[in-house]
This record gives sequence, structure tokens and C-alpha cells, in this order.
Amino acid sequence: MMTTISKKVCLLGDFAVGKTSLVRRFVYDLFSDKYISTIGVKVSRKTVVVPRTHDLVELAMMLWDLGGSEEFDQMRASYLRGASGAVLVCDLTRPDTLDSFLEYADELLRVCPGARLILAANKCDLTGQQRLAPAEVEAVAGELNAPFYVTSARIGEEVEALFRHLGRLLVE
Amino acid sequence: MDPAIGQLILQDRKIAYAITDRHLAVVEVGGAMSIVSDDPGAWLGRLLPELVPELVGSEDALADVLAGRLPCLELSWASREPAGSGATYLTMVDLPYRDQQGRAAGIIHMVQDVTDAGLMVRQLAQNRNELRLLRDRLAQQNLELAAANAELRRLDEIKSTFISVAAHELRTPLAPLRGYLEVLLDEEIGHLNDEQREYLAVVQESARRLVALASNLLDVTRIEAGRVELVLRPTDLLALVETVLAEYGPQLEARSQHLTLCASPDLPPALCDEMRALQIIGNLLSNASKYTPQGGAIRVSLALAEEEGFLQVSLADSGVGVPAEDQPNLFTPFFRARSAILTRAGGAGLGLSIARSLVEQHGGRIWFASEPGQGSTFHVTFPIADRPVPSVPA
Repeated sequence: MMTTISKKVCLLGDFAVGKTSLVRRFVYDLFSDKYISTIGVKVSRKTVVVPRTHDLVELAMMLWDLGGSEEFDQMRASYLRGASGAVLVCDLTRPDTLDSFLEYADELLRVCPGARLILAANKCDLTGQQRLAPAEVEAVAGELNAPFYVTSARIGEEVEALFRHLGRLLVE
Repeated sequence: MDPAIGQLILQDRKIAYAITDRHLAVVEVGGAMSIVSDDPGAWLGRLLPELVPELVGSEDALADVLAGRLPCLELSWASREPAGSGATYLTMVDLPYRDQQGRAAGIIHMVQDVTDAGLMVRQLAQNRNELRLLRDRLAQQNLELAAANAELRRLDEIKSTFISVAAHELRTPLAPLRGYLEVLLDEEIGHLNDEQREYLAVVQESARRLVALASNLLDVTRIEAGRVELVLRPTDLLALVETVLAEYGPQLEARSQHLTLCASPDLPPALCDEMRALQIIGNLLSNASKYTPQGGAIRVSLALAEEEGFLQVSLADSGVGVPAEDQPNLFTPFFRARSAILTRAGGAGLGLSIARSLVEQHGGRIWFASEPGQGSTFHVTFPIADRPVPSVPA
């Protein structure tokens, strides 16, 4: 019988980088161009089967989509409590959205020292507007010793792969 | 207090609660449970983290609350989207539930529906974030515009340098060319027959036009570079206009154009650079002649301007006029109006642009009114000098 486990995963990043859209694409395979700010947290659940060393595991990922605006900075620690992993999301069209990655990672690892990280450089479909080179994201990923993906919630590029990779890290 | 009253208060404040035992199994629910469940009875006996997705991963924290290591567990602005309705916002608090001996017997999980406040907070955050995105986009566009401007300035400098060099190089060989033409036309080295004289006159006129073009090009580059310095002096503007008319007299006579000059009496002197004022009025008169058909009329008038402290020179012609669509561009360098092309009038489209720059440098104005087929009137103003024209020593 397959083992079933639940893990809490937080999505962290500045406002309007596409955290909610990544979750919607992964969980419901949907996308909307309309931008609606997330306040507080919205929890979604998706179960995936991922390989472990000698077996398969049914992993229920509890995806915590956190509001990116700074008014939630004070509450973020309470949202991060109990997280096993996090997706750090930046927007390839806004270079400053990469600047906060180290702070987010630092805060997460302070609250949850064993949490696993993965990076998403989102909106790769907006080819004409990109002002952030994937190599810059890769450099930060190297600093954090975390894998990174260039994603697009709009067209679904690498979204499934991103979350599955994190799933594998969570059951290691 | 009557428990029914307590329930009423909880319903009114949209507060639900669930009490668990020490193993987190729900033993009691109450209040406005509809905000979290369609079937509150199904909660009984089940583990709290199975029922509240926001508590997954918080088992250790709940244990800390039970053990008294953590006073409570709070979660603000938890958003949910129940099927068939919009977003709801909940605030959750988990406290230790104590028995009569004061021992922690379980957890009280309290939930309050704060959707109304949540929607307002969301709208505020949305507006602010959209403004920030707009500000960032504007900042980016400003950067791009600044870069484009810098590039345009660079290209403009290259263009000005090129024009300046080209104009100089054009003028240099023209000087000996015109000199030798004069020698030939003056028959200093031999008699000319009528045909030779006619051909040489054509060459001389072409050389004159080339010199004028080179001078205009140099003026444009000097004006663009801010290198035109005016020597302002009190000037008798009527005398200056008469000089221009005399200079252009042969051109007007050759086209049988009728010229009249009308000047108000006792006009004060203008404060202007004589050479540049001659150039301005000369450009306007040359244009008036070019665009007026043979036998047409040109009227020059000089008077006090409506604007106090200025003299006004007006040149009205009975020419083809300027088409309405060309009028906004008439003072743009190198612009050639359709009427100029149709009438095959010569010129590079620099005269009016130079005139406007020079007039504005004097502190005056230049403008025109035109009706296609009815002719055009150009007006130019010069400031009045506060001193009389200096007398020429005998």
C-alpha cells in the first residue's frame, strides 16, 4: 500500500509575480490574465505521486499562497510555521522582484530550519518585456543551493515540473 | 448567561468554534458553523487538522499550545472560495481548553468570518499594487525615452556637423567660380556674344543660389548650436525695409509683380540686428515673390503692433496660398509645402525656419494667415528700442 503524507508548501515572492497563477495552473490547470491581489493566505491542496528511494509516495501538497504586499510582512512568520518547503517566485519582467529572495529564504529557514527551497523565474512567455536574465536567477539559486525553473503560469511552461521536483525533495 | 444567548451572539458576530480533546479529536461544535462547514455534525469525532486545511503542518504548534509552551495559535486573513460563491476571509485562533481543575483538556478552535473587512483590505492592496506596477512601467518607459533622446541628440549632432562641413566645402569652390564669372561677364578678358552672355548669366544665377543654400545651411547649424549672436541696435525699420525692397526690386520687376509699401508715420526705432533683420524680411519677400504669379501684387506694411512695445512688418501676397494640411509644418526645417512643389519654386525649405529662429531670438513673433488660392500674409514683430537711432557721422 502506498504511503500518504501531507506537506505544507509556501509560495513566497513580491506582489504580482504570479504566485496565485502558478498555484491555479498546477492545481486546476487554469489561468486568468486578470490580476487580483492576494491578501493573507489561501490554502489549496494537490496530491501527487512522487518517487522515494525504494517506493512511491502519495504526497498531499498543502499549497500556501501568501499575499505579496508588505502589509503582511508582520504576519508572515505565523504563515510560515510548519512549512516543509517553499517556492520563491520572481517576475522576469521586474528585476527588483529577485532582490528579496534572500530575505524570504532567510525568514523561512529561521522559522522552519529544515525547509526545502525551489526557485521560479515566472512570466517567461513575455519574451519582449524580460529584463531579468535567467542567469541572474541561477546565481541566486546557487547561493541558496536550490534548484530553479523558468516558468510561465500563462502557458503552463515548467509549472508541473517545478512542483514535482519540490515534491521529490520533500519526501527525500 | 443563558447558553442560547451566547449562541445568538456567536451567530451575529459570525463566530464558530470547535472543542477538541487532547488528541485533537473534535468533541463539540457551536456558533456560526455554516461559515466553515455545510455539515457541522460530521466534525464530531474527527481530528481537527483533517477538517481545517490551514492547520496541516501545525500539529507541533498545537501540541505546544496544549502543553502551555505557546499561548495560542493565530492565523489572520485565511482566504477560502466555497463553491458557487466569492472569496471569504476567516480569522482563526486556537487556544487551550481548560477543565475545572485548570488543566489543558483540549483545544478551542475559533473562527470568525471577516469577509467584509477582507474585501476592503484586498481592494486597497489591489489599488496600491496596480499603482506601483504603473509607476514601475512609467519609470521604465522614461528610461527608454531618455535613452532614445540621447541617441537622437547624438544623431542630430552628427547631422549638424555633416551639414556644417558640407556647407563650408560647398562655399569654398564657389568663391573663385563667382569671381571668374564676374570677370567673364565684365568682358575683362574678351568680348561675349549674346548667347555666351545668356549662358554665363544662367551659370551665375545657379552659383548665387548655391551660395544662398550654403549660407542657409550654415545658419541652420549655427542656430541649432546656439551660435548666432545678435548685435542689437536701435534701427530705422522703414529704411531697412526699403533697402530690402530695393535689393529684390529686379526680381519683382522680372516677374512683373506690383509692389506697394505702406508705413505709419513717425514710427519709433526697432531694436534689432540689422543684418539679421534684412535676412528675415528678405526671406519673407523672396517667398512672397516666388509663390505669387507673374503680374501679381505684394503689399508690405509697417506699423505699431497690437502687442505693446513692438513694431510689426506684414507682407501680403496674392499667391497660391498654403494648403491647410501644410500650415502646421511651414516653419519646420527642410519642409516643402505642396504649393512649393506644384509651383516649382526653388529653395530647400530653410528660409522660414531660419526667419522664425532669428525673430524669436530678437524677442519678437512670426506668424501667418493663408487661404489656398487667396494668397498669404506673413507678420513679424520686432521690439521697439528705448533709444533713438544713432546719427551717422557726416
